[in-house]
Amino acid sequence: MATRVEVADEQAGARERERPQRPSRDERQPRPNPLREGLRLERMAEPCTMVICGATGDLAERKLAPALYNCLLSGSLPPEFTVVGFARRDLSGEAFRAHLLQGINKFSRNRPAKPAIWDSFARGIEYHRGDFDDPAAYLELAKRLDRIDRDRGTAGNRLFYLAVPPALYPEIVNHLDRAGLAAAGERRRSGTKRGWTRVIVEKPFGSDLESARTLNRELAEVFDEEQVYRIDHYLGKETVQNLAVFRFGNGLFEPIWNRRYIDSVQITVAETVGVEGRGEFYDATGALRDVVQGHALQLMAIFAMDPPVEFHAEDLRDEKLKVLRAVKPMSPAEVVTNTVRGQYVSGWVEGAKLVSYRDEPEVEPDSQTETFVALKLGIDSWRWAGVPFYLRTGKGLPSRVTEIAVQFKQAPLALFARAGVPQIDPNVLAIRVQPDEGILLRFGAKVPGQGMQIRTVNMDFRYGSSFAVDSPDAYETLLLDAMVGDASLFTRDDEVERAWEILDPILEAWQAGQGGPLHFYGAGTWGPPAADELLERDGRAWRRP
Amino acid sequence: MRFGEAESLATPMWVERNTTCQAIAGHLASLWDIPSGLDDGGDPLVTEKGLPHARASVLNLIVTVQDEAAADRVVHALIGLGVHHPSRAIVLVPQQGAAGAQIDARISTHCNETEGGGDRVCYEEVVLTVRGEAAEHLSGIVTPLLIHDLPTHIWWPGDPPFDDPVFDQLVEMGDRLIVDSSDFNDLLTGFRRTASLRRRSGVGDLSWERLAWWQELTAQFFDAPRFRRYLPNLSRLRIRYAVAPRATTRHDEDADVAPGTPAPMAQSLLYAGWIATRLGWRRHRTLKPLADGAFDLRLEGRHEMVDLHLEPTVTDDVPPGDLLSVRLSSLGETGAAEFIIDRDEDDAMVATNADGMTALLRRVPMETPRESDLLSAQLTVDAADPVYEMSLRAAAILLASSREAAA
Repeated sequence: MATRVEVADEQAGARERERPQRPSRDERQPRPNPLREGLRLERMAEPCTMVICGATGDLAERKLAPALYNCLLSGSLPPEFTVVGFARRDLSGEAFRAHLLQGINKFSRNRPAKPAIWDSFARGIEYHRGDFDDPAAYLELAKRLDRIDRDRGTAGNRLFYLAVPPALYPEIVNHLDRAGLAAAGERRRSGTKRGWTRVIVEKPFGSDLESARTLNRELAEVFDEEQVYRIDHYLGKETVQNLAVFRFGNGLFEPIWNRRYIDSVQITVAETVGVEGRGEFYDATGALRDVVQGHALQLMAIFAMDPPVEFHAEDLRDEKLKVLRAVKPMSPAEVVTNTVRGQYVSGWVEGAKLVSYRDEPEVEPDSQTETFVALKLGIDSWRWAGVPFYLRTGKGLPSRVTEIAVQFKQAPLALFARAGVPQIDPNVLAIRVQPDEGILLRFGAKVPGQGMQIRTVNMDFRYGSSFAVDSPDAYETLLLDAMVGDASLFTRDDEVERAWEILDPILEAWQAGQGGPLHFYGAGTWGPPAADELLERDGRAWRRP
Repeated sequence: MRFGEAESLATPMWVERNTTCQAIAGHLASLWDIPSGLDDGGDPLVTEKGLPHARASVLNLIVTVQDEAAADRVVHALIGLGVHHPSRAIVLVPQQGAAGAQIDARISTHCNETEGGGDRVCYEEVVLTVRGEAAEHLSGIVTPLLIHDLPTHIWWPGDPPFDDPVFDQLVEMGDRLIVDSSDFNDLLTGFRRTASLRRRSGVGDLSWERLAWWQELTAQFFDAPRFRRYLPNLSRLRIRYAVAPRATTRHDEDADVAPGTPAPMAQSLLYAGWIATRLGWRRHRTLKPLADGAFDLRLEGRHEMVDLHLEPTVTDDVPPGDLLSVRLSSLGETGAAEFIIDRDEDDAMVATNADGMTALLRRVPMETPRESDLLSAQLTVDAADPVYEMSLRAAAILLASSREAAA
């Protein structure tokens, strides 16, 4: 007997019938996948080819290969996904795959790679040997990518990862352009006329305003800004993303997130390590360029920005830029009073001896490069005028920690002073980015007993203790973002340039010897005493995170 | 290292026979007072930041089990949950009709190092054996022991006594009920009763959670628009699932809390129900009624008739009930295509064969999740899961149809 009972939920069916007819869908837009609805994994990369320029280097081995493998394990990579390694070295495809596999086996949070899974993934990994200055290499690459589009169904979507020193960016992007590889979709001269083209560039984004502008201009000659993804792995960390949720997803915090309630803000990016073999790079760079330009100013911008109109890349970046534009660049005199630079001398960190910075290999014996910076910045906006933002970062500090600490204003009336209670510590809200990602609130509580004694206590939230899911590595998040086309966590050209506009006067004053002396501090201490004095002058003190 | 493996018992086990709720609540409250002594490792029990070990305030978990042995297995699975979830786990062993002391309690605190070391995060575990008349009023015993303002999840391993008033009481008290439909002794009744429960924010099912990766892989076939066009023309779905060899018992350290799998068809039916509801398939007629765990149904798809075939395969390579193979085929005007997931022991071959195109074939990981991982994933969900609920109702309809005579 044929029965006709609906298997599909009848109520849902009824709801569907009641729903007004949508306007007919654009023919080119396929219907959404009905099986996706309600699945845990919401983000899935589109089929694409990722071309790693400089694929035999450190970054590909340490970061990219493990990140891609972990994305594969979590199911975020589509079956069509293909990798093409592009580099000078004369390698076979086999040897290149072995290079990536080695990276996974050494650095992945899921290691070692499972042979069956890896073998299957490796079938989509190719090596393209070529010199970055040879036009023929790019023409060959273009043919290869067309072939991959046909054979593996990557639909003309291409992600170029420039894992090379920034000096090579202009050359590479120009050759990509000449080979017809920079354009996307309809604008392509040959091969498939469908699909997107995106390019990921690594920091540093220049070494001052001038070089950053040059770099941006050179990228802009070839790519539209929305094709460019400037990666700073700090921004891929969960807490950074959660900062926006914490502020704009909760009704409690936003009303007090301003000059009326906040006394000051401290941003600390502390590292315990020294230069770790990157002496030559670091000596030419220093802490201000290495950390403040990217992470510290970005953390500050996300912390201080106004709510975006929508949670989309352009809106977010507009708001961040507004914060940076409200930071007034310093005069030489202000550089003296509002900045402290330091360099570590030998000392003990976490039970191990760290040699003096100047004794590190490839560092000039009389180097003036700062390994520590403390800054006092102001954001001249309606919301933040008068609230000092203290930033500090350094190497050879006692513990590895990145945090933003908000110090709130004191209660308006010292109500308990008459009962003999001294000043109560101000409330502090600390947002820890690493390690132990979490949020902590300090407030005063009465010590039980007949007398009136007040002690500061902590209310502590940790990610590790509340969520069962392992946080993905920052590169996993960011690579997937780039494949999905979400640029929220990447830096836009105007943000980069504005950051340099803030920092250039400091660098210039230091270079001209007008920015105050270089202070020395023992490795394993929280920087030179001058950094403490910077806050003491304002009647404040650094937190000991 | 996984969380949970570095687990340590932070306070000595507190054991009381014939005790009262007040005494238990009092002891729970005292656990977080700052102690004056040192712990086993000689560390002061207060961290340098002036905190006792951090306490995770996430949720209450109530687990009801048949006997003390099952309680031990639950405790084992909870340790697997590690620091992540329960702030307070209450394991109930009701023994209605038993004589003797009314409430026996066992309380311990479990602590784990947080990632990156340093502080430790602790949760409390309360095992209550409740005898006699008190066992008929469990919610009255449990309510005062819950941490306020946290969601309360009820995990009911084994076959839930849907007709027992105690079951109703506890479900009513919780925000969410978690069952494992593979444990239902009568699968059809279990599906139907679960689908019609009164509840505040939903039901979770560990068997549904076991399907998560299969669903993901299935959805991935059709993420690419060029393959999505095959969806309306699917004409066959074949599912093979594992059943244990007879007369052998599978021994596994991480085995189910309720050993054995009374309903090995549960996962396959839920999977079929999921596809059917997502693609709008309707029941049409029974081709081959259910016998020895296999059946054939004909369903009516949007464009084509669809044959659904379920069959068991005897194996002890994977836990009974787990899917072994899914094949979706299309024969419509768009041409022949087949989408295949074949599971081996701990990986799977995933293949797309669509005519005119090179077959896409790859291997993906496919590990058997531990029960604690499944529970953990289910505890992260706070809201009702409409996709599950629709699939559950569809699974019940498919199972009922398979029991009808062939038309």
